[in-house]
Amino acid sequence: MDPTNSHHRRHGAALIATLAIAASGCGGVPPAWFRPNMVESTKQRLTPAQESQVATVMLALFGTPDQPVAMPETGLDQAKLDLAAGPVHSDVTGKKNGLYREHCAHCHGVTGDGLGPTAAFLNPYPRDYRPGVFKFKSTERADKPTRDDLVRILHNGIPGTSMPSFALLSDTQVDALVEYVKYLSIRGETELNLMRAFFDLDDDAEGKLPQAREFLVDEMLTPVAEKWRAADDARIAVPEMPADIDLAASIAKGKDLFYGDKANCVKCHGVTGLGDGQANDYDDWNKAIVEIKKEVTGTAERARETKTSGMSAEALAEHRANLAWVDRFHHVLDGDAHRPRTIPPRNLRQGTYRGGRRPLDLYYRIHAGINGAPMPAAKGTIPPEDIWHIVNYVRSLPYGFDGELGADRTTTASTRDRF
Amino acid sequence: MPACSRSDGQHHGPWVTARPWLAVVLGPLLSGCGSDRVANPVADAGLAVELRSALASTVAATSDTDAAESGTGWGSLKGRFVFAGTAGDPRALVVDKDTEVCSKDGAKLLDRSLLVDASSKGVANVVVFARKTGRVRNPVPETTLVFDQKNCEFLAPVFAARVGQSIDVRNSDPIGHNTNIAGSSFNQLIPAGAGTVYKADVETGMPTMVTCNIHPWMKAFVVFRKDGYVAVSATDGTFTLPDLPAGETVELQVWHERSTGPSGALGLDRPDLKWTPKGRFQVRLEPDEVKDLGTLEIPASALGI
Repeated sequence: MDPTNSHHRRHGAALIATLAIAASGCGGVPPAWFRPNMVESTKQRLTPAQESQVATVMLALFGTPDQPVAMPETGLDQAKLDLAAGPVHSDVTGKKNGLYREHCAHCHGVTGDGLGPTAAFLNPYPRDYRPGVFKFKSTERADKPTRDDLVRILHNGIPGTSMPSFALLSDTQVDALVEYVKYLSIRGETELNLMRAFFDLDDDAEGKLPQAREFLVDEMLTPVAEKWRAADDARIAVPEMPADIDLAASIAKGKDLFYGDKANCVKCHGVTGLGDGQANDYDDWNKAIVEIKKEVTGTAERARETKTSGMSAEALAEHRANLAWVDRFHHVLDGDAHRPRTIPPRNLRQGTYRGGRRPLDLYYRIHAGINGAPMPAAKGTIPPEDIWHIVNYVRSLPYGFDGELGADRTTTASTRDRF
Repeated sequence: MPACSRSDGQHHGPWVTARPWLAVVLGPLLSGCGSDRVANPVADAGLAVELRSALASTVAATSDTDAAESGTGWGSLKGRFVFAGTAGDPRALVVDKDTEVCSKDGAKLLDRSLLVDASSKGVANVVVFARKTGRVRNPVPETTLVFDQKNCEFLAPVFAARVGQSIDVRNSDPIGHNTNIAGSSFNQLIPAGAGTVYKADVETGMPTMVTCNIHPWMKAFVVFRKDGYVAVSATDGTFTLPDLPAGETVELQVWHERSTGPSGALGLDRPDLKWTPKGRFQVRLEPDEVKDLGTLEIPASALGI
């Protein structure tokens, strides 16, 4: 037998065997894990030992994606979490488990970091729950959404985005998913607190976080959970729109406010209302990455200009640490962050309202602004009746387009496309 | 984990390393479809179990924090920051909106991130604050501070206030602005000539950025502290922190917008003050002492110049 041939055949057999193993997943699926917030840990320049310390504390406080833990301080319901968590399966009665991974994880990620496998292909990107910031809610800007706000989003989806409606799920299932989203958000915000706490350590702590309950629970976790508990009391009090309001007059007043220097909507939503005003801004999630990229680029530039000859050993070590940090950050931004995208102001001629189309929803958006987005709050500086006028004007925009673009402003090809 | 998740690439066996050609075939198969990610930091499962049961117990652990030093009386700290390099002229900002107000009569808005006084070399807008103190002398003042904007510029490039103190966020321009404090969820529309009152409810830690989304070049920093022990250096680089508790070691944190240190911490080479790369130093004041740190030199490299 030709030895070369036999050699080839042996290799061929080995390859088939290996491919079979590879295809079958090397004997079982590894258990799901929560991905630590690598962008924050790299930004804070945590050492590997410090990263492990955070991972251990997080495991103790919150468990794993298969076995989540609801400490009493979180105010979360363990039974609801169990229904939403874990791999997808049904029990003998046909009750479904693993709802989060079935319905949400492919976009929002197992960790709730908005980095699921399909996330990069979506515009806008799916929400990253970890900073604890939510846009569409009935509470004041700085407050968390109520449970009902999240239920509404699951029922209706978010028009104009990839977020679908889950109205076909049972109330129990929606309730479990809402609880699990709160869990992921409390978890993510606690992790951010822990990672940022290293900077505040005294030097004699030798880079180690205290392990006492007073610190880990009372300082890091409870304040986050408290904000969620307080949400139901933070609802915006909305005075009813007068029932006998003269709609045409209200729309006219709303239009004056929209274009005037008081409400100033025109600056971002544009003279056409097409959302073509100030359009090169970022939301808070994307801005964080933009700012980090600036910092990384700045450090890289300075490192390039640094002359290492004649440097002290200490300075050289710092220089090398900077280079390693830049290198690692490029890697982290590649795998743990989306490419930043600007946030266009809403095109108000389309009649698509992400946070809901009820007049009340538009009132909330104008009163409190949109948390995490450039949209500011009108609360305090615009009286409620004026907010209602703006709501009425905005609601009229999709219907009338009779030369309002103005003589001095012709539609360009790109604004026409957007319309 | 979904089947097609990004892999951390940790599943290659020793088999693969021995046969490079296999790695080429198997690499893409085993590493899934995403890009390579930085390896996952590993939690210590055993330690986590212990920690969880320890944390579940609501019985307060025996506190091993040493009793806080308590002295009596109050002292002051002062000093002056000077720049030991050449700052150059500040660059002009790109002002492309509302120019009839924002660049009135051809006025240029300048980048204020590094302001060095030409004659004294003093550096303005360096922030010095106490990290924590055992005692606080003054209650939160009843007076309202004004944080104003005019000609499309925040009048104070760096603004300090106490947590709970009323701040009148004003707009003295004939056009509308919005004031957006990063990390605070405060983003408020301020109509022309109007204002709104804001009270910080938490400390900022390091100063945080304030912007106007309508005029993207507008930028300032605010710092809110519970105890009010915070100073912003003046045009000539001087700062004063009065009424600090005497008889205890107070650690101070120093920040500058352009500092290359972590989170803007300004590290200086002052071993006599135990100045750390995290921009912290310590002092211990005697009652009624006015401690003058003298000239604090900021090397150009500390600001990335």
